[in-house]
Amino acid sequence: MDTTGPTPDRAVRPGGARGRSGGLRDTLEGYAFAGPFLVAYGLFLIYPFFKGIWISLHDWNLLAVAFNPAAKHFVGLKNYVHMVWGQHLVWGVDHLVWARAIGLAAVVAALALASRGRLPWRTAVPLAVVGVLLFGVALGIHPASDGRWYDRRFWHIVWNTLLFVLLTVPSVTVIALGLAIALNRQSRHAAALRTAFFLSQVLSVTVVTLIWQLMFSPKQGILANLFRTLGLQPIEWITNPQLAMPAIVITTVWWSIGFALIIFLAGLQEIPAELYEAARIDGAGGWRIVRNITLPALSRTTTLVVVLQIILQFQVFGQSHLITRGGPDDSTQVLVRYIYQTAFQNSRLGYASALSVFLFIFMLGFSLLQARLQGSD
Amino acid sequence: MKRTLTLLMAALALSLGATAFGQTEITLGRFFGACEQAGTDIKSAVGEACIIQSIINAFSAADNGIKVNTLPTDWGNYYDQLKAMFAAGNPPNIFVIHKHAIPEFASLGALADLGPDLAQVGIDPNDWTAAGKAAVTYDGKIYAIPMDVHANLWYVNMDIMKQAGLVNADGTPMVPHSPEELLQQAKIVKEKTGKDYLTADFSQFPIGVRLVLSLVWQQNSELFTSTKANVDSPEAKKAVETIVSLFKGGYADPTLNYNDSMQSFINGNAAILVNGDWVVNSLDAQTKDPKVALKHFYVDNFPTLFQTPATWADSHTWAIPSTLKKQNPDEYWAALKLAKWIYDHDLDWARTGHLSVSKSVIANPAYAALPHRQEYANTVNIARDVKQTTHYDAIQNVLNRQLQAIWLTDKPIDQALKDANQQVQDILDQ
Repeated sequence: MDTTGPTPDRAVRPGGARGRSGGLRDTLEGYAFAGPFLVAYGLFLIYPFFKGIWISLHDWNLLAVAFNPAAKHFVGLKNYVHMVWGQHLVWGVDHLVWARAIGLAAVVAALALASRGRLPWRTAVPLAVVGVLLFGVALGIHPASDGRWYDRRFWHIVWNTLLFVLLTVPSVTVIALGLAIALNRQSRHAAALRTAFFLSQVLSVTVVTLIWQLMFSPKQGILANLFRTLGLQPIEWITNPQLAMPAIVITTVWWSIGFALIIFLAGLQEIPAELYEAARIDGAGGWRIVRNITLPALSRTTTLVVVLQIILQFQVFGQSHLITRGGPDDSTQVLVRYIYQTAFQNSRLGYASALSVFLFIFMLGFSLLQARLQGSD
Repeated sequence: MKRTLTLLMAALALSLGATAFGQTEITLGRFFGACEQAGTDIKSAVGEACIIQSIINAFSAADNGIKVNTLPTDWGNYYDQLKAMFAAGNPPNIFVIHKHAIPEFASLGALADLGPDLAQVGIDPNDWTAAGKAAVTYDGKIYAIPMDVHANLWYVNMDIMKQAGLVNADGTPMVPHSPEELLQQAKIVKEKTGKDYLTADFSQFPIGVRLVLSLVWQQNSELFTSTKANVDSPEAKKAVETIVSLFKGGYADPTLNYNDSMQSFINGNAAILVNGDWVVNSLDAQTKDPKVALKHFYVDNFPTLFQTPATWADSHTWAIPSTLKKQNPDEYWAALKLAKWIYDHDLDWARTGHLSVSKSVIANPAYAALPHRQEYANTVNIARDVKQTTHYDAIQNVLNRQLQAIWLTDKPIDQALKDANQQVQDILDQ
């Protein structure tokens, strides 16, 4: 740019030495504007992130270190080993056989898509490598009959968290997308309904969980009363190990659709009206328009919603903490609640930090996977 | 203009007021729940939250130069919040703490050693009962001021028991003396009245853990010592089976949480409520409401189903951070004065139903005259609690989780006790 002559902005400046000093001044001005943000970002995000990794390499008791900074011990990767590994672990071809078969089938499907040119090889090959390592190898590892995981609860909690995300993110996305398409019109009803659906979003998690505890209570709950008037036995949502997780998912979906709805509505506004007109002139009906115009045009928006949801829902805490307290029998215990309890109930800050780093890597992996898959369309 | 100036001056005077008269402001942390309408009238307050808050408010309002700011905390997460405040270097100046939590906080140097300073504010440890003294003593030092001993009781709906024919000639309810008698009573109640025999919070707070602890102690066993887990013992299995037999027979509902189980008893749907002594006062107030089904209830000592009488107990005590005396002596002495004030109101606090730890209060005829007090007078002699450990909260979490797995998810008892044993041992090994 500099060699092609002065830009209009620079042309109005007086004096000869405008090139370099102007650049310096621009740079300084730029930093001055970005400075406050960079300072806050460094202080409140970058520094704590690396401090967390540092803490995770220590045996660090929250209260003991508060009173005596020397009370921590450097233990290297011991916390990580304790977290993911165990005693007398063996590898079995039949362990978790169904989950692994499905995973490996997905790997084969990805390679098949690639060979037909529907998926770029640069996406398919890394996916296949990771998939084979994960499903073929890693998930076959388990403790022998006389062995144990060092942390007996960890993998179960990882699975709970994953299950929660797998149930919540698609539900939120599909429901919000459907609502957005239905409400993307300029009528008073639609405006009122848009507001109504968004309203739950502004509530805090404590209020949301309070509302849904009232809904789910087997004694005084709205759902229980509804069931009783229909002559049915009320469902004990919160104390049933099969229904506790769905109860939390329902609560979360109700709470989260508002935000996804707004993003989808914004995405819908971007689609040019001419496309719809042209389609209608060509005789396309409602469902064909949605499938061939709306959905393809929204693919970037959908990626955004899904990635944001994955990042958000992996950090689920309040719903599990306030509605079920992680129970019954750990069936709704999730990673962030486990991190919280490890740090603040058991005071094991070092181990809690290691768990947090694991969660970060886990979320990063899933976001990358999702972005890769959708970005390659 | 003139009016604005006057207003401004008034606002300035108000805001300066606190410091102008040399007031000391201290922060206080507590659980027991919120009582928004608590005034300073201690005598008319009902229930734990309102009684304690009116005692605090009365102290704050009194002409003593001390203002108390009660911090908002939440029951379920109280200790997590307290630890976070300590870790951030900003703990409350005075806070309530259970006997079971003192070893953990004291061993890390969080609590002030109050022993040498008690006399200066007029607190006499010789007035404390042996149980009160034991509650606040760790490693030979006094780390808090005791407020009560609180134990599990056996609340009996007398109308249901009469209908079932389970009342003695002297008008007291019949109590079971063995697991078999317990089941027999349950059966009679169900058949004659159609009501549940027993209700308690088995799905939320660790009331079930306390029940099992009591039944294990009654067999002269322990669930854990300071170094060794003993959860998969025959005694623990017997205790759990006793409780599960009530669920299996349909005589009790394990899915009720704390509020649901209280409602069940108040609505006259269960003959027996197992809960701590802190609801004597509020249940008594409820029976006066004509809309409430519960009319007459008796508060019995927790029954002895095995060899040795025992019921779970703990203590509420008040502690001060170790750092306060050096950082701000004014606040330290103000906090101690408040602790004395609270101790001096131990008779008011005992109105909740709690057992006093003050010898002079126990000797006071007004204490013995409190509603239902004579019915559970022996509880003070059978109250027991867990061995001192720095990990009790974590252990209690494990036990609560595994016991709930048994009664809510039908996890086999042997498996749950084995898992609990391993997990408790993991904690003790840390």
